[in-house]
Amino acid sequence: MLLRNVFTKTVRDGRRALSAWALGTAAVAAMYASFYPQLAGGAMTDVLATFPQALRDAFRLDDISSAAGYLQSTTFGLLVPLLITMYGIATGTRALAGDEEAGHLDVLITHPVSRTRLLVHRFAALATGATVIAGVVFAVMLAIRSGARLDTVLIGGFAGQCLNAALLAMTFGALAIALGAAGAGRGLVLGVSAGIGVLAYAANTFGAQLGVGWARDLSPFHHYLGGEPLRNGVQWVDAGILAAMTAVLLAVGVWSFNRRDLT
Amino acid sequence: MESVIRLDQLTKTYRHRRGLASLSLDIARGEVFGYLGPNGAGKSTTIRMLVDLIRPTSGTVRVLGLDPRSDAVAVQRRIGYLAGDFVVDTRQTVDDCLTFLANLHGGISRARITGLAERLDLDLGARIKALSKGNRQKVGLVQAFMHQPELLILDEPTSGLDPLVQQTFLRLVAEAKAAGQTVFMSSHIMSEVERVADRVGIIRDGRLVTVDSVAALRHRAVRRVRITFATPVPTADFDALPNVTDLTIVDTVLDCRVHGSPDALVKHAARHTIVDLLSEEPDLEELFLTYYEGHDSVAA
Repeated sequence: MLLRNVFTKTVRDGRRALSAWALGTAAVAAMYASFYPQLAGGAMTDVLATFPQALRDAFRLDDISSAAGYLQSTTFGLLVPLLITMYGIATGTRALAGDEEAGHLDVLITHPVSRTRLLVHRFAALATGATVIAGVVFAVMLAIRSGARLDTVLIGGFAGQCLNAALLAMTFGALAIALGAAGAGRGLVLGVSAGIGVLAYAANTFGAQLGVGWARDLSPFHHYLGGEPLRNGVQWVDAGILAAMTAVLLAVGVWSFNRRDLT
Repeated sequence: MESVIRLDQLTKTYRHRRGLASLSLDIARGEVFGYLGPNGAGKSTTIRMLVDLIRPTSGTVRVLGLDPRSDAVAVQRRIGYLAGDFVVDTRQTVDDCLTFLANLHGGISRARITGLAERLDLDLGARIKALSKGNRQKVGLVQAFMHQPELLILDEPTSGLDPLVQQTFLRLVAEAKAAGQTVFMSSHIMSEVERVADRVGIIRDGRLVTVDSVAALRHRAVRRVRITFATPVPTADFDALPNVTDLTIVDTVLDCRVHGSPDALVKHAARHTIVDLLSEEPDLEELFLTYYEGHDSVAA
């Protein structure tokens, strides 16, 4: 019964959007991953060899001929995190800021639902969606794995990378929820979350070269990709850090949501 | 008498607009209270503090003896609230919306929802997107009444309703009162509340300017009176009446405003032959004016 509580109702209301995100992300991931056999052999490696070393380091291009290296610099290095972060921010923005701006929160808050419960249920729906998207990407990767000559990446590698993808979406979703909980409007939440997303991505990609390694360690993208789960399997420490970031953001969100006037 | 709503020195200050200034009010169990005031007077501000959407700058709010903030869920279980701008996601059907909200309470029978919808002539199968403003307001009424709460807090409940549905609404309020429920409803139209309300509070510029029974307010109100005589009458005959203002006599027709009881005017007029007598029902704006005129003269 999907009308039972705020969590199930939110999942139900978002089911169409979620299908689109999941299928879209999986399709893009599958398409790029299946280019691997064409790009891996020869020509691409020769072209990349002419790139400056700094650029090759930044985008991890040195090892593009291996399946894991290729996926890390294309599919899972750019498109999947980009799309799943966008899902997290869009869904997290709608969860509180968007609904408050539309006037939908008043009705919920004045029924027997505490503000804390509302926030937690909204996040749980977002987390469910992130897990579904990552799960579909995982399933699609397994389906094309041998056809696209990606067998050198173990199933545990895909699992670890997809787990981190789900956690990445949750982290940015929690960020957008926390900003909305603090009272920022829809536009501001979207803008600030996206801005932080870009900075975090840049910090991970160029942080080491710019001498701000600490910024890289703070970036969710570093914990998403840095441990190279495609090569090394599930990275529990990185996953734990992403989960902890999410938990801190949610706690701040609950604290500020309970303190303020709703508009 | 047990207080269902108790506001003590309630103040809400906003940065850029007027809020509430030191408002105190007691509503007893079983009472129907009409909260009147022009738009922007602070009615919704008060109501939003009753349901913990916003928090007081100072002063205290007690609803059913509880603090709406620290006991939010306990209070929410026992109240039915209709917002001044009732908005829900318009993509869902009326049925889904109401079933969901009923589930948040739990223990509401299906028959209760269908019964209310039927009385209000609300189509449960329709998508909210497709509903007119009045029909959306009916959804708001059903969700406020469906769990038969101890206290109904209704912000401009009749806005957008056609006259027939307004009658149904007034019956629902009367039934709630008969069942011992307390009703706190706001309006900017006196006629909406005067038939059901026991007492009325008038708020202006964030201050409660008067709280009284409907009968007492009516007594103080200004009404326009027009008397048509058989033959022309001299103005001087009516000049001396203390509670008559804006007196004009054109030929046989007298127009004036009467403050409070029309007794003196009627007795005076009865010395002439009257062809027609028309007394308009005092409206709220007139009531406000009376109050402020009275208030100002007292202050001066």
